[in-house]
Amino acid sequence: MTELAQLLEDAGLTGRGGAAFPTAIKIRAAIEKRARLIVNVCDGELGAAKDGWIVEHHLDELLDGVRLVAGISPHTRFAAHRGSATAARLAAAGLPVLETPDRYVSSEETSLISLAHGGQARPMTKRTPFVYGGRDPQGRRVKPTVVLNAETLWRISQINQHGAQWFRSFGTQAEPGPRLVAIGGYVARPGVYESAAGTPLAEVIALAGGMTQDVRHLGIGGLGGIVMTAAEARYAIWDTPGMKIYGGSIGPGIITIWNPAEDPVDTVNRMLNYGAAESAGQCGPCMFGLPALAEDWRRYVDLPSGTSARRLTDRVALLNGRGACAHPMGVARFATSALRVLEPELTGRAVGRRYLEGATRG
Amino acid sequence: MASSLDVAKIAVDRVRCTGHGICAQTLPDSITLDEWGYPIVTDDQADPDEAKLAVKLCPARALYLR
Ligand code: SF4
Ligand code: SF4
Repeated sequence: MTELAQLLEDAGLTGRGGAAFPTAIKIRAAIEKRARLIVNVCDGELGAAKDGWIVEHHLDELLDGVRLVAGISPHTRFAAHRGSATAARLAAAGLPVLETPDRYVSSEETSLISLAHGGQARPMTKRTPFVYGGRDPQGRRVKPTVVLNAETLWRISQINQHGAQWFRSFGTQAEPGPRLVAIGGYVARPGVYESAAGTPLAEVIALAGGMTQDVRHLGIGGLGGIVMTAAEARYAIWDTPGMKIYGGSIGPGIITIWNPAEDPVDTVNRMLNYGAAESAGQCGPCMFGLPALAEDWRRYVDLPSGTSARRLTDRVALLNGRGACAHPMGVARFATSALRVLEPELTGRAVGRRYLEGATRG
Repeated sequence: MASSLDVAKIAVDRVRCTGHGICAQTLPDSITLDEWGYPIVTDDQADPDEAKLAVKLCPARALYLR
C-alpha cells in the first residue's frame, strides 16, 4: 500500500475534483488512519460531467482504483446526486450509493463526510483534515474519512497498470497526466474529452467542434471559476499558469462556451443569483454576503462607476476565506472575472444610455 | 521575531459563529466586524493569553486557536 503512495508520488497525480492536492499525501494519511473511502461521483460544479462519464464508460477501472485504495471494504460509498442517471447506474451495478441532494454545496468534500455519518449534506469546518477524523458541528465524532474524486481513482488504476512514466508522458512537468474535460454550451459536440495540461485552449475546445466566429465569452470551471473573452481563449494555454493569467485554474475540468445570442450580463446575473441561493445558510458572511454581492453586481450594471465597482470589489474581499467551504470564495472569483471581462462593455452601454437620454431631453 | 510560543493563531468556525461580536471587543487589534456583526480577522496573530480569554468568552464556541 505504501508502494501505491510512492507510485502516485512518482506519477505526480493530483486530485481531479478541482483542488489539485497531491493524491499521494492523501493516500498515505488514509492508509495510516485506515480511513473510510467516499468516491465523489457527483459532478457537483456547474457544467461538470466527467464523473458520470467514468461510471458510464470505465466502471471496471474505477472499481479497480477503489480496490487499490480501500481494498474490499463494507464502508466504501459512492456519492451521487439523488435521481441522477449516475446514481441509477451505480445502484444497478450493486454498489452502495450515498445519495446527495441536488444542491450545489452538497457534493463538497465535508458535506459528503457529514452525510455519510448520518448528518446533513452541508459543509463542516475543517479544523483538521477529516482523514484524521474529527467532530461535526454538533460535536459528534467523525471517523477518519477520505474523499476521492471518481477521475482520481480511475487515474490511480491506470497508473498502477501502465506506470508512472506512461502517466508523465502526458501533460506538463508540473501538471502531468491525462485529464478529462467537460466541454459544453455553444459547441457542436458537447461532451467529455481527454485533454492534457499545456495544450492550447483552442485545441481543447476544438475537440467539441471549436468556437464559432460569433462566440464572445466562455466560462472556465463553472460557478467557482472564471469568465474570459473568446479573443483571450484563442491564445490561452490550458494549464494552471495559463489560466492563472485570467484568475482561474484548470480545476474541475469544465469549459462552457457562452451562447452569443444571450446577453452575457444576464448570464452573470443568473449565476450570481444561483450562487446566493445555493449558500447552505450556515455561515453569516456567506449567507448575507452572497445575496449582497449579487445586489452590488446589479447596481454596478445599472450604473457603472468607480464607486459601484469599488463596492463590488470590497464585497469580494469580504467573501474570501470567511466560510466553512470554498463556495463564497468561488463565487467571489467568478464575480471578479465577470467585472474584468464585462467592464468595457458595461461602461459603453452606460455612455450610450446617457447620450440617448440627453438626446431625448435636448 | 516572535517565536511561535509568543503568539497564538486565531481562527473562526464559521458554521458555529453567531455573530455576537464579543471577540472583536476582546481582541480589538485582531478582529473587526462586518456590517452584519460577523468577525473579520484582520490579523490572525494574537497574544496567547488574550486569545485564550477570547476563546473562552465566545458564546458559540466558534473562536479557536490553530
Ligand atoms: S460558506 Fe456558505 S455554502 Fe459553505 S458552508 Fe458556509 S454557508 Fe454553506
Ligand atoms: S464571539 Fe464567537 S460567535 Fe461571536 S462573533 Fe466572535 S467568533 Fe462569532
